Amino acid sequence: MTTRTADGFDVEVSDHGLGYNAPQKMGDRMWAPMFLMAVMAFPVALILSFVRASTIADASTPGDIEDAAQLGHLIAGIGFIGFLAVFAAVSFTIARILGRFRKGGGDIQEAVGGDVQTLKMPVTAKIFMLFMMMGMMVIGVAVALHFVAAGNVGTWSLESVERWARVLEGFRRLGVAMYLFGIAFGLGTIINVIRFQSIRIGQLSKSG
Amino acid sequence: MTARFDALTRPKAGDDPRTNSKYLKVGLVLATLGLMVAMVTLIANIAAANNDNPVTAVETLAWSFGLTTFAFGTIKLAISVILIGILVRLWARVSSVKAALPGLKGHGEAGSPRGDIDTDHGAATETADIPEPLPIHKMARKMWFPMVAMGYMLVVVGTIVSFIWSGKVADGTQQAAQAWTAGIQFLGEAFLLAGISFLLGSILAALREGGGDVQKSLGLPVRTLKMPVTAKLFVAFMALGLMVGMLQFVLYIVAAAVTSPQSFAAWAAWLGPLREFSLGLLLAGIVLALVTIGNVLSFQFSRFREIVATGK
Repeated sequence: MTTRTADGFDVEVSDHGLGYNAPQKMGDRMWAPMFLMAVMAFPVALILSFVRASTIADASTPGDIEDAAQLGHLIAGIGFIGFLAVFAAVSFTIARILGRFRKGGGDIQEAVGGDVQTLKMPVTAKIFMLFMMMGMMVIGVAVALHFVAAGNVGTWSLESVERWARVLEGFRRLGVAMYLFGIAFGLGTIINVIRFQSIRIGQLSKSG
Repeated sequence: MTARFDALTRPKAGDDPRTNSKYLKVGLVLATLGLMVAMVTLIANIAAANNDNPVTAVETLAWSFGLTTFAFGTIKLAISVILIGILVRLWARVSSVKAALPGLKGHGEAGSPRGDIDTDHGAATETADIPEPLPIHKMARKMWFPMVAMGYMLVVVGTIVSFIWSGKVADGTQQAAQAWTAGIQFLGEAFLLAGISFLLGSILAALREGGGDVQKSLGLPVRTLKMPVTAKLFVAFMALGLMVGMLQFVLYIVAAAVTSPQSFAAWAAWLGPLREFSLGLLLAGIVLALVTIGNVLSFQFSRFREIVATGK
């Protein structure tokens, strides 16, 4: 297998299709569990929010206020497990689509005969994976800290619990923005892959 | 009007498929802008958490909420622009494949269309002509632009209202503005995600029509996948998510009229997760649309390979 630059693309040249790479295989396996986790987390958070709303509406003692604060952290944590999972599922399905292009393009070139050119992982794909992982970590840590805060209601002052909520809210949102940013780059990679394949099929017909 | 929006998703005559996509450049610039705004709001939240003056802290949190949602909306707008770029490239790919395949096609003779068939990728049909677009495809082509445009406008309007909310904190009259900010912005977010869903629906339509066009141009029976279960569930999730998104907007209007701070806090406690539930449903639909696109691509590559190998 050799590496070459053609029409502005870095490609690997081989005598057979290279199939899926590791992130694409992972995308194929992981989108469904993430999807299921997401569709379970959002309704659970919504149901708990009804309990919290009822607690707030009837609150008359400091204990009720503590219960509402504790539920607030739990609901935010569970809701953002949903977002973590659904954005991971979106990212994994984008990796899966990129895999379909890589494998399908290789298979067709193999059927035609001659060299099989496979696009090397572009910078946009690396940024996509980097921001997906960063988004996942930021939201994951924020979720874990929400559960820590929920577990410490009654031990910490209500003011501290509220401060944690504000800071963690900021980090959760940043995590979502990172995920979305990564998804934009993942979809951008698809544009480049289609561009490469459109050029490559023209070359095949000329050389064939 | 619809035709004009649809033209945005087609390559212009004389476009060179080798050039870089302008949609990609615009999309990535918008996405970067959105990420930077989100970073600013993180700093604002940390500042609010460390602010000992409760009024100033709540004022900061109010505009920070609006600005974060604006950041999300901007990145979603960026994703929409990139999806338009994908559509343009897909149509250019159809032209490239149509031009190249006659020279690559095997030498077998194609038989007559067989009607309903089973393939390794699911149930399909073989017809003499390109199948008509499905109703959801027609709807997707009509609706993506209004949804994206209205969605982003609502997000911007909600951001402005969040500054009004911030300005009313000092005199304690912020409840109505708070409710309007959340209601308007998250209706906008739901519209943006629906717009993205319709763009994904348009991509599925382009794959179906383009694949049929290529096969027909070679004089072959047109093999098309039937609508898979994932596509049906995608439509169901999107419709449900959009309905819940509109419901949360109506309920926030009701909450805006609540005068007791305790009652308002109770309303806000469940309306927040409800609006997130709406976005969750829409995002789950988007996952299923992307899964369907992956499956359709597998089917299409397998069909092209068969044409190259056997000529039928």
